[in-house]
Formats: sequence, structure tokens, C-alpha cells
Amino acid sequence: MKIKPIITFCIISSLFLFCLISIWKILATLQGNNLKEFNFTLIFTLGFLVSLTYLIIGNKVHHIIKSIILSLIFTIVDAYTVQSLPWWYSLAVFLILIFFTNKLKNYNKEFLYSEHSSEKALFDFATLFGITLFSFVILFPFYMMVVTSFKTQALLLLNPLDFSIDIKQGLKGLFKSYYIVFDQYKFGRYMLTSSIVSFGTVIVTLLFAIPAAYAVARLNFFGKTFLSTSILIIYMFPAIVLVIPLYTVFSQLGLRNSILGLLIVYTATTLPVAIYMLQGYFKSIPKELEEAGIIDGLKWFGVIFKIIIPLSIPAISSVALYVFMIAWNEFLFSLMFLDKPSSFTLSRAIQFLNVGAETPRQYLMAGSVIVTLPILIIFVYFEKFLVSGLTAGSVKG
Amino acid sequence: MANISINKINKFFGNVHVIKDVSLDIKSQSFTVLVGPSGCGKSTMLRMIAGLEDINSGTISIDDQVVNDLPPKERNIAMVFQSYALYPHMTVFDNMAFGLKLEKRSKEEINERVLEAARILQIQDYLKRKPKQLSGGQRQRVAIGRAITRKPKVFLFDEPLSNLDAALRVQMRVELAKLHEQLNATMIYVTHDQTEAMTLANDIVVLDEGLVSQKGTPMELYNNPKNIFVGGFIGSPKMNFIKSKVLSKNSNFTEVDFMGIGKIKISKISNTSNEGDFVQIGIRPEHLLVNKNADANWESKVLVVEKLGSGTFLYLEKDGELLVVQTDGDSTIKVGDTVKIGFDSSRCHLFDKENNAFI
Repeated sequence: MKIKPIITFCIISSLFLFCLISIWKILATLQGNNLKEFNFTLIFTLGFLVSLTYLIIGNKVHHIIKSIILSLIFTIVDAYTVQSLPWWYSLAVFLILIFFTNKLKNYNKEFLYSEHSSEKALFDFATLFGITLFSFVILFPFYMMVVTSFKTQALLLLNPLDFSIDIKQGLKGLFKSYYIVFDQYKFGRYMLTSSIVSFGTVIVTLLFAIPAAYAVARLNFFGKTFLSTSILIIYMFPAIVLVIPLYTVFSQLGLRNSILGLLIVYTATTLPVAIYMLQGYFKSIPKELEEAGIIDGLKWFGVIFKIIIPLSIPAISSVALYVFMIAWNEFLFSLMFLDKPSSFTLSRAIQFLNVGAETPRQYLMAGSVIVTLPILIIFVYFEKFLVSGLTAGSVKG
Repeated sequence: MANISINKINKFFGNVHVIKDVSLDIKSQSFTVLVGPSGCGKSTMLRMIAGLEDINSGTISIDDQVVNDLPPKERNIAMVFQSYALYPHMTVFDNMAFGLKLEKRSKEEINERVLEAARILQIQDYLKRKPKQLSGGQRQRVAIGRAITRKPKVFLFDEPLSNLDAALRVQMRVELAKLHEQLNATMIYVTHDQTEAMTLANDIVVLDEGLVSQKGTPMELYNNPKNIFVGGFIGSPKMNFIKSKVLSKNSNFTEVDFMGIGKIKISKISNTSNEGDFVQIGIRPEHLLVNKNADANWESKVLVVEKLGSGTFLYLEKDGELLVVQTDGDSTIKVGDTVKIGFDSSRCHLFDKENNAFI
């Protein structure tokens, strides 16, 4: 029995486990645990032993039983040596161990005796660690936002970094911030404004982008190449450069504090990318399809409505999604142009809450959740649709 | 149905002169094939008839009505594209019914016409499918069906079979010929494949660099090509050309040099070529005789033998150019054998230095 690959593998895997548990420990210190209470040598040694035992037992025991028993042993030893740990800490350690032993399932002695096994194992665990770390970095702030929005003022003052949700308050208590945000801070109205602006931008942008993209993709006219290459030039100017002249112009025209003003600016800023995305897709539609349509008796508008648009639904919906997200999340222009609360959009309203008054943080977070949630839902719904649409469109017509 | 007359049409793409002063008469109910190498302007011609390309000068008339400025749908034509161009988002039925729906026909009529076309093409079972669920041959049928339902005066086909595999192509070719019999419509068909042209056409129009090289029935083109281009284009394998020069001539025949080893009298004459002028003898592989005495004979070694079963092709070399000879399928001639090739003077063509044929 060769020892070296097994030892290397155990070191690699226990390092991975060590990193995961360390992150959890650091988080746990934010909850009031003392960093000195953690025994890092112990974790490394235990992790090493867990990997080794897992490999040695091999297939003799069913792997679910194996992983539960090993995870339990690890958790109990850890909790026993550092006695002052709360129950939720150990539960999380147990779950991490289950995750870890589940990954160990993919490795056995035959694999370790094969060539480059330690490199493979190293890459596997490094990838896994990367994925876990980055998803954590992305999801953690979101989690904090949601958790904070469920808290009361008193709990927040006690420990602002507490991760737990106090379920004892009951549903009414949990959603109190949301109720207040809608009731006192009039978020319903801001939401309505934001929806009108966003949907309006999507509709107006598509209304202009589809014919423009079609013209750039298909028709020949003077300055076509110049136009199609210069479409994206607007992005060379930072929005902050445009915002001041626009402010003066809009003040003169009375477009400040109006939805119409925002619609104009948002359409102007999203139109280039919309045209750019659509024209690429339109070019990929075979020209013969349009010619067949013309022979069947369609006119130009018929070609666009009956052939181009139905075939470009995937592209059009991704453009719509992009424009919606930009318009919904846009902050700079709404900050500059809107100063009457009656015309605020959601992002502007949150900024107003933050600066204008001493607003409790849980209300701010509830407002943030309200801003994020629609985008999230729309994205999750559209994402499936986009994928199916793209594969359907890729088949030669 | 409809006759088409094309009068001195020209077409430019930028500075490129694609169609050069072409005039053409296409008889009603004929099956006319436009054939030529790629880039000769045959597809452009078809698209001009369809109304998909503008005409720079000249006129196109369908049934004596000038259609230059009519949009495609008012020309009463239907077109079948090389890539089928079926609407991917519609079912087969909707694809075929689309044109009729745009004409605002009644539901019953649309139903009846689509089912009729589906019956002719035997695609009744696929009417509810989407194009992507069909094979290449089925898609082609749907594309043809879409043309049929509109009952046009003129059918235009733009290389409709070139996306199909060899076996299917032969099958569809036969079906197209049957379809022409059944529908009695005027059909114009563009292809680069001379076999399709020979088998389908009543009339073949050979195009070369935007000019009509020759127009005629398949056998006319085969037997009496007007120039080297048509001679070489029609027939497979292509006609052999042998460099030669005029030795003497009179009003009945021309005597030319034969392979530098003798002479041959060919009963074709030309006013433009005189004694000593460069000419080319053209003879088809299937008209050369192997190991039989003829009007002129030439011996050489066989370089390559291709056995096709139905026939055997022998490749010989003369001054760096290949000479192809077709002989029986059960021929026992091997590579390296010396064979005697006999030239039957009545089968020989002569082409002058401008590549025009002797008459």
C-alpha cells in the first residue's frame, strides 16, 4: 500500500476543510464568540483524520452512514474541546462536515494510485473552494439585507451583525418593517413610479430599437457603416458628464420631477446597447426568410412583425430584461432630476430615506429588499425562457 | 399559364456588371433551366423575375404585362429557395397557408388548397409539425408545397436540390418533373448542375458571365454547342478539347491537323477561320472509340482507369492535357496498357480561336 498519495490527498482535503471552517469561525466571532476559543490545530488534525478514516473504510460501509458518523465525531470532539460554543455553531460545523465528506465520496484508493492524482485532487478542491468563497461573497450581503429587514430596532442596537432571525416575533413582527415602509414611507407609490418608468423605458426603447436595428442590419442607406459603428460611442461619455448639461436643459423645459424626463434619458442611454444587441441577432436570421415573406405578399412592416419579431423573441426578451434592469436600478439621473418625493423612484426613495431623515436601518433594508426582489423574480423567470429560446433559435430554419 | 419575355435587361451591383443586356423568351408551360457556373448571374436573373432585385434597365413582362415596378406578390409568382426558407415559428400547415392568409382567402379555401398541395407532395402526415422536426427532403417538399398552394402563373426554383444528399436529389428531381406534368405551369429553375438541367428542362439557358451563351433544348445543346463554354459545360465527363489548326477548307468540310500525326476531315465550316488558323477539336468521351479503326486514330498509354460499373473512363495524356475516353463497363484495359483511340469525324466539333463553334 502506497502511503504518499494518501497522505498528500488527506493534507489537501483537510486544508480545504480547514479553510471552510475558518471562514465560519470568523463569521462566528462577529456573533460575539471569542476568537481565542477556537483551536485551529485541532481542526486541521481532525480533518486529516476524517479524510484518512474515510479512505481506509472505503466501500465497506454505506457512504451516508459513514459521512454522518464521521461528521458527528468531528462535531462532538470540536464542541467538547471548546466547551463554550453555542448550539448553532456546532450545527453549522456538522453541515460543513456533511458537505465535505460528501465530496470525499468521489475519491477512492484506485483514484489515488492513478497518475497525477494529487494534482487532480488539488484542482478539484481549489475549484470547490473558489466556488464556495465567491458564492458566499455574493450571497452574504444579500442575506444580511434580508435578515436586517426582519429585525426590530432593539435587536439591531444590541448586535447589528447578528445573523439570526428571531422567529418568536411571529409573522407580524417579522414583516413590521415592510408594513411601515409601505404605510409611512409610501413605498407603494415609489414602486408604482419605478414600474411605470421601467416598463415605459422597455416599451419605448424596443419601439425605437427594433426598427433601428433592422435598418442597420438589413437596409442600405447613406452613412450606414458609420452609424452602426458609432452606436456605442455614447458609452464613451460618463453619465456624470451628461448629467449637468441635461439638468439645465431639463430645468428649462420643465422636465425635471417628471416621469417623461426620466423616460427620455433612460431610453437614450439604453437604446445604443439595445440596437447593438438586436442588430447582431437580426443579421443571423437568413435573408431568404424575409424574401419568402415578401413573395408571400408581405410588405416591410409585415416582414418585421410577422417574421423578424417572432423569430427574435429570445433576443428581444433579453434586451427587454437588460433595459428593465438598467431603468429599475438607475440612480444617478433620478438623484439629479427628482427632488419632489411625489415623483421619486425606488432607488431615489431609498437614498432619500438614508439621507433625509434618521431612518431606522431595518426600514432601509426592507426598502432595499423591495427594490431587489422584482428584478430577482423577473430574472429567474426570464432566464429559463432565454435559454430555451436560444436553443430553439439556433436550429437552422 | 404564362409566358415571360425579358428584353435587354441589365443589372449592376456597384460597379460590377452582372447581367449584360440579356433578352430571353420563356414559353408558357415550359420548364426552363438557367444553368451556369457560380457567379454567372443565373440567380440574379431569377431574383429579378421574382421582383427581389431591381432592374437597372430593360423590361421583364409576364403575360405581356411589364412587371418591372410590380411588387413580387402582384407578379403572380412563387419561389422555392435553396435554403427552403420555411418560417421556423410556424407549423407546416401555417407555412403553406401563410400566403393565402395574407390574400385574405376564406378558411375553407385555405384548408382545401393546403390539403390538396399536401396530397400532391405526400406530406399530409406532417402538417402539424414545425420545420425543425422535418428532414431535409421533407422541408424541401414543404417549400414546394408553399409555392403550389398559391397557384401562381410562374414557379421559380433557386437551386432547390443542392442542400439534399445525392440519393434524395435524384428522387426529388423525378418528382419535380412529375409535378411539372401535373401542374402544367411555367417553371424557371436555376442550377449549376448540368445533370439537373439536362433531365428536367424543356429549354436550357446557359449563362456565362452575365450573357446568354446558348439557349435550346437539352439535345440541341448536347449535339450542337455554339461555343466551347457550352460544349464543356453540358455533358459529363466534359468534352475533350484538342489543339489543332486548319490545313484546308471548302464549302462542305474543313480539314484540320490531328494530334500532329495526321489530319482529319470534319464536315463543319466556318467563315472566320482560314488556313493555318488555330482551332480546337471537341469530342465527347462517349464518342471516342477504343481499339477500333475510325477516321483518325491515336495511340497512347492509359494513365488512370475509373470503373463505374455502367462504364469505364480511361484517362490519357496529350501535351500535358488529359483526354477522357468512355468505354464499356466490362472493359479489361489496365493502367499502362497502350490503347488505340478512334475519332469518328461525324462526332467531332470544331471551335475557332474566338471559341465559337463551326457550323
